[in-house]
Amino acid sequence: MRTARISPARRFFLLHLPMALIVLFAIGPYLWMLITSLKPESTLFSANRSLLPDVVTLENYVRLFSRTGFLRNLGHSLVVASGAVVLGLSVSITAAYSFSRYRFRGRRTLMLTFLLINMFPVVLLIIPLFIIMKHLQLLDTHAGLILAHSTFAIPFATWMMISYFNAVPRSLDEAAQVDGCRPFGAMLRVVLPVTLPGIIATGIYIFITSWNEYLYASVLAGQDVRVLTVAVQTLIGEYEIAWGLLTGGGVVGALPVTLLFMLIQKRLIAGMTQGAVKG
Amino acid sequence: MSAVSLRNVFKSYDSTLVIHGVNLEIHDGEFIVFVGPSGCGKSTLMRMVAGLEDITAGEILIDGQVVNDLPPRDRDIAMVFQDYALYPNKTVFENMAFGLRLRKTPESEIRASVQAAAATLQIEHLFDRLPKALSGGQRQRVAMGRAIVRQPKVFLFDEPLSNLDALLRNQVRAEIKKLHHRLKGTTIYVTHDQVEAMTLADRIVVLRAGVIVQVGTPDEIYHQPRHRFVAGFTGSPPMNFVDASVVSDNGQVMLNLVSDHRLPLPETLSRAVEERVGDEVEFGIRPENLHLANSEPPADWPKLSLKVELIEPMGAENLVHFALCKNSLVGRFGNHVRPAPGTLIDVVLDPTKMHLFDKQSGETLNRF
Ligand SMILES: Nc1ncnc2c1ncn2[C@@H]1O[C@H](COP(=O)(O)OP(=O)(O)O)[C@@H](O)[C@H]1O
Ligand SMILES: [Mg+2]
Repeated sequence: MRTARISPARRFFLLHLPMALIVLFAIGPYLWMLITSLKPESTLFSANRSLLPDVVTLENYVRLFSRTGFLRNLGHSLVVASGAVVLGLSVSITAAYSFSRYRFRGRRTLMLTFLLINMFPVVLLIIPLFIIMKHLQLLDTHAGLILAHSTFAIPFATWMMISYFNAVPRSLDEAAQVDGCRPFGAMLRVVLPVTLPGIIATGIYIFITSWNEYLYASVLAGQDVRVLTVAVQTLIGEYEIAWGLLTGGGVVGALPVTLLFMLIQKRLIAGMTQGAVKG
Repeated sequence: MSAVSLRNVFKSYDSTLVIHGVNLEIHDGEFIVFVGPSGCGKSTLMRMVAGLEDITAGEILIDGQVVNDLPPRDRDIAMVFQDYALYPNKTVFENMAFGLRLRKTPESEIRASVQAAAATLQIEHLFDRLPKALSGGQRQRVAMGRAIVRQPKVFLFDEPLSNLDALLRNQVRAEIKKLHHRLKGTTIYVTHDQVEAMTLADRIVVLRAGVIVQVGTPDEIYHQPRHRFVAGFTGSPPMNFVDASVVSDNGQVMLNLVSDHRLPLPETLSRAVEERVGDEVEFGIRPENLHLANSEPPADWPKLSLKVELIEPMGAENLVHFALCKNSLVGRFGNHVRPAPGTLIDVVLDPTKMHLFDKQSGETLNRF
């Protein structure tokens, strides 16, 4: 095969420029948010405003943490997202392991159901969920939100974990069983350590979706348990939008997710290359 | 008492039957090889002994105890897998120690056992490595080390050499045999390679489509095949087969080979088929039992005049392909035998090494 030799100019117009535009389009709003959050609120609407701040200030952040209950909102988000990770992982790991390792009646149907659930818009579920939560007195509690987030986190996480487990040869479980493990022990002591990168990736995925979720968080909770997404939204008032606080809250909220995503990305690649058992 | 007994064992997946009633007694310390073409059920049969597959019907006994309902960990077996199945995140030492740790063996004992097993296989220098840092041959050794460290009642090997290159395969094969002489553990070894079966086995179990076709020592399997399938599966190149019919010529029972070659039969064979005059049979003879008429074979051996098709020099010997109507016959001769292709030469057949098989059932008509 011949490798095409492309001139640097063509390369720039065909590859680098379009990519730069796409990236700019994608992160532009975030950059704007970050820049805005660093400007003094008073300059936001002044006549001689500019794109880049003349003075960089953290006053929005200081106000955010001192005046509003933002720290508490962060705490709620953390509790809910972590709870969703723990619940979601323990259910999806065991479910995915069975799907991957055992052939039982209704296996395919069940797997398809898991897939289908992912295709429904979450809005459809919200009314039944509201009624269920009300009866269980779980409205406006951490447990309620964790359960609600699990309804979409678990199916997707299960599918993710199935593919990670399928990448582990079954002979590994069998070797463990011959060596003296019970089936559950084989999963725990041999298969899980091998799939650890995948488990971490799945856990972070659950964390991110739960952390970013707004609809359930605002309908099924919002008073006692007001998570970050809901709190940020309340900064948009009827007559006035507190842009400084809003962008500051957005940045703080996006920070952990961004960091986790950078982590997951490395892990995902590690997971792909680590699967080599023989060869 | 047998180390392992299979009693009328059946296995089906959903509605397809893959093992059709297998009976087998494996003696203490015996090296048994399951051999057969791919898909014949060798692995399934071994995995039932291991407890990794349910037994659909019948009984499997290990050391006199019915193990049908025992999980693998309670069967006191060890297994070497085709892909080795080393635990990727454990070091070589921990791979070997894992089984002992699960059995709550004291640390000092673990150390001694792993050390001893590793010394046997010369892998002590690899203790701290992870499997991914090992070559194929080293992984194979570690997998064997993991099996022998527990000193189980039965060793199970599922095609352990199939991922090694040819040279290494021969070397490890010899080592497995040495290891068995040393440890004398009852062993079941699965392979599709008849050379492995012949070289390693005390007894070979030839399987076809979930049925045992023959059980015997390598010599029995090679020299007294009970079935055309066994004869065609062993030897390289395998036995020659020629369609033939039994005819009576002036009261003497003879064979009519495809191209109207008349072949007189030895005493034992002609008596075996005298009731089958007119029947279609299959005549079989191994390549090494064809001889040149001008060497010094006994004068009464039947002679055929055959056209040379091609010669395959193998170094120590030459394989000569003869045309016999549509069939071809392969003869194995010394490397000085180099007839030109297209020439006719006289070949004699060793009458004591002739085989006859029923055309329909494939069963042997010889009386061993
Ligand atoms: N899990 C399974 N489900 C259905 N059929 C299977 C399964 N495992 C093996 N088989 C079938 O059983 C037969 C024997 O398989 P196997 O024992 O692996 O053959 P071998 O090891 O001799 O190559 C094959 O026809 C295979 O298709
Ligand atoms: Mg197999």
